[in-house]
Amino acid sequence: MANMAVTVAGLELANPVMSASGTYGHGLEMRHFAAPASLGAWVSKTVTRKPRPGNPLPRIAETEAGFLNSIGLENRGIDSYLRDVLPDMAREHAVVITNIGGESVDDFAELAARLDGERACHALEVNLSCPNVQGGKLPFSTSPAMAESVIARVRAATKKPVFAKLSPNVSDIGEIARAVEAGGADGITAVNTLLGMRVDWKTRRPALNTIQGGYSGIGIKPIALRCAWSCARAVSIPVIGCGGIACAEDAFEFLVVGCRAVQFGTASFTDPGKIGRLAAEMSQLLDQHGIASVTDLIGTLRAPNVLAKTPGAPS
Amino acid sequence: MPAPPKDARSCLAEVLEVERVGDDGVILSVRPEIAMLDVRASRFFMLRHEDARSPAIPRPFSLYRQRGRELEFLIKVMGRGTQALAQSRPGEKLRLIGPLGNGWPALDGDGPMWVMLAGGVGSAPFYLAIEQALKGMDGKARCGKDHVAFLFGAARKGLLYDVDAFRGFGVKVFTATDDGSDGFKGNVLQLLETLWSRGTLPRECRLLACGPERMLEAVEHLAQEKHLECWLSLETLMGCGVGICNGCPVPTRPDGPLGAWPNAKCCVEGPVFSTRDIAL
Ligand SMILES: Cc1cc2nc3c(=O)[nH]c(=O)nc-3n(C[C@H](O)[C@H](O)[C@H](O)COP(=O)(O)OP(=O)(O)OC[C@H]3O[C@@H](n4cnc5c(N)ncnc54)[C@H](O)[C@@H]3O)c2cc1C
Ligand SMILES: Cc1cc2nc3c(=O)[nH]c(=O)nc-3n(C[C@H](O)[C@H](O)[C@H](O)COP(=O)(O)O)c2cc1C
Ligand code: FES
Repeated sequence: MANMAVTVAGLELANPVMSASGTYGHGLEMRHFAAPASLGAWVSKTVTRKPRPGNPLPRIAETEAGFLNSIGLENRGIDSYLRDVLPDMAREHAVVITNIGGESVDDFAELAARLDGERACHALEVNLSCPNVQGGKLPFSTSPAMAESVIARVRAATKKPVFAKLSPNVSDIGEIARAVEAGGADGITAVNTLLGMRVDWKTRRPALNTIQGGYSGIGIKPIALRCAWSCARAVSIPVIGCGGIACAEDAFEFLVVGCRAVQFGTASFTDPGKIGRLAAEMSQLLDQHGIASVTDLIGTLRAPNVLAKTPGAPS
Repeated sequence: MPAPPKDARSCLAEVLEVERVGDDGVILSVRPEIAMLDVRASRFFMLRHEDARSPAIPRPFSLYRQRGRELEFLIKVMGRGTQALAQSRPGEKLRLIGPLGNGWPALDGDGPMWVMLAGGVGSAPFYLAIEQALKGMDGKARCGKDHVAFLFGAARKGLLYDVDAFRGFGVKVFTATDDGSDGFKGNVLQLLETLWSRGTLPRECRLLACGPERMLEAVEHLAQEKHLECWLSLETLMGCGVGICNGCPVPTRPDGPLGAWPNAKCCVEGPVFSTRDIAL
């Protein structure tokens, strides 16, 4: 059996498989589909300071090769998370990463401070795709300076490892990656959803109530892979790959381009039991290829020529 | 936090038969690799053809009928997902996630009569409902045949799927079609009003309904107005069926038992809701 253990920003994980925020519950609601110990880490849905009822219907739509959502960060807020979710997770052998979201830099700092004393929460993932309400509603993730200041405030408020979750909806993700590293992030999650939309030309109606929404699933894998690779080249902190991963091979592609771990999202809607079997399937595949440890794959991309080293080079 | 039911599994199921029914429906029979016995009426499963031509997101379907390990689904062919399922062949494998959701309340024989209102393929959760009500549910008194009425409405006769199977129970079955091609001419609520005014059915009754959104809104309205106990089996869009995508919110009544949060998750807190708990 290949060795599946990885260390990511000081977190010792049994395997590199994590759930992607917002796609596998808040806590351990899915424990009958995936045993708590079968995942390297469980990532919560984004927790905000105040409860958020979310967006009106319809919030989801399938497309040819993926999935659109505009959930609107529905969640019951940090008080409920601390009271109703974390205590239950503390009783299990599960590594917990709490994903936090805010409308202002202060929101993020407050959330980080409140989670800092919670033993059951092992690390924070900062959802930088949230709109900055005081900054023209543009997501924090679109400006290096904003992204850096959010991470710096979170960094100052907690001793736990901090992962910055980046958006692919930017022209140079490597620049944002360097900014969050400068802000003190211990790692990067790449990436959140792309912006997308679907319309019914016969009724002239958009599929989502919000018209545009977050695009995820198998269709985004090439873009997510490119983003993860760009981040891994830009910084020295670890990168967690996310976007369109549906099987062991997909996960390995992200490790090869430099990720230390991966997140499994929309594919859980196809089969909610898959994520719990993924690490075992990865291990089997490594055995078949005579690879002793999953870490042997990390960052092993063989770049063919100088063009491949230049992000944004024309094809 | 609302969580999926403990007995739900994700497994493969072998297609046994696909039988055409009505103008645009099929009855799909499958045998799951894990036995799922005695599933409560109006619980559902997520189904997906395990191949590249099918959409990646499974679709929700009520369990229509159960024969031992064999599960049957009544499927109206709408778009990509239902087409792929309708085209599946015996021996092929489907992904099956379930049983999911709560199911109807115990349909006991003690209180007022049960009046079941089905619109089109909304009939799916009623076959097992009648079967289980006649047998007795949760150790409560069983229903006599005259304690259940099934009112089945559709646009036309060809959409009254498998109606003879319902007649076979010996309960009161009434049909309504918009074009008058079968039974009463009009919708299922106009039919109910007529049966009430003729004295064929007692005005004091308990309502169960499943069908298009507009029909359910009208049933909800009627139940509030006449102060009738009423449960609706909702068919919201679903992404996952197990509570993890947040794509299936149903607005709750602030003064009801679910009122602590503005939305209930249809997949794990429903699909059956009392009209006291939600506001469509
Ligand atoms: C709990 C539950 C139980 C259900 N039980 C049954 C059943 O027993 N038999 C059955 O035939 N159908 C049932 N449905 C509805 C069924 O899931 C949809 O018809 C199916 O998802 C459509 O998939 P599609 O890919 O064919 O259509 P799509 O291509 O996804 O959509 C085609 C058309 O159908 C509409 N549609 C999509 N999903 C739904 C929905 N959930 N309700 C109403 N309209 C929809 C779309 O708006 C569009 O107009 C149930 C739904 C739920 C939530
Ligand atoms: C329904 C849904 C809800 C999501 N909610 C969140 C969220 O609350 N916070 C967050 O950071 N990302 C959220 N995401 C993004 C995912 O975590 C992930 O970054 C993205 O879906 C890409 O991965 P995938 O293609 O494997 O799904 C959500 C995605 C989906 C599909
Ligand atoms: S369908 Fe995903 S939460 Fe209900």
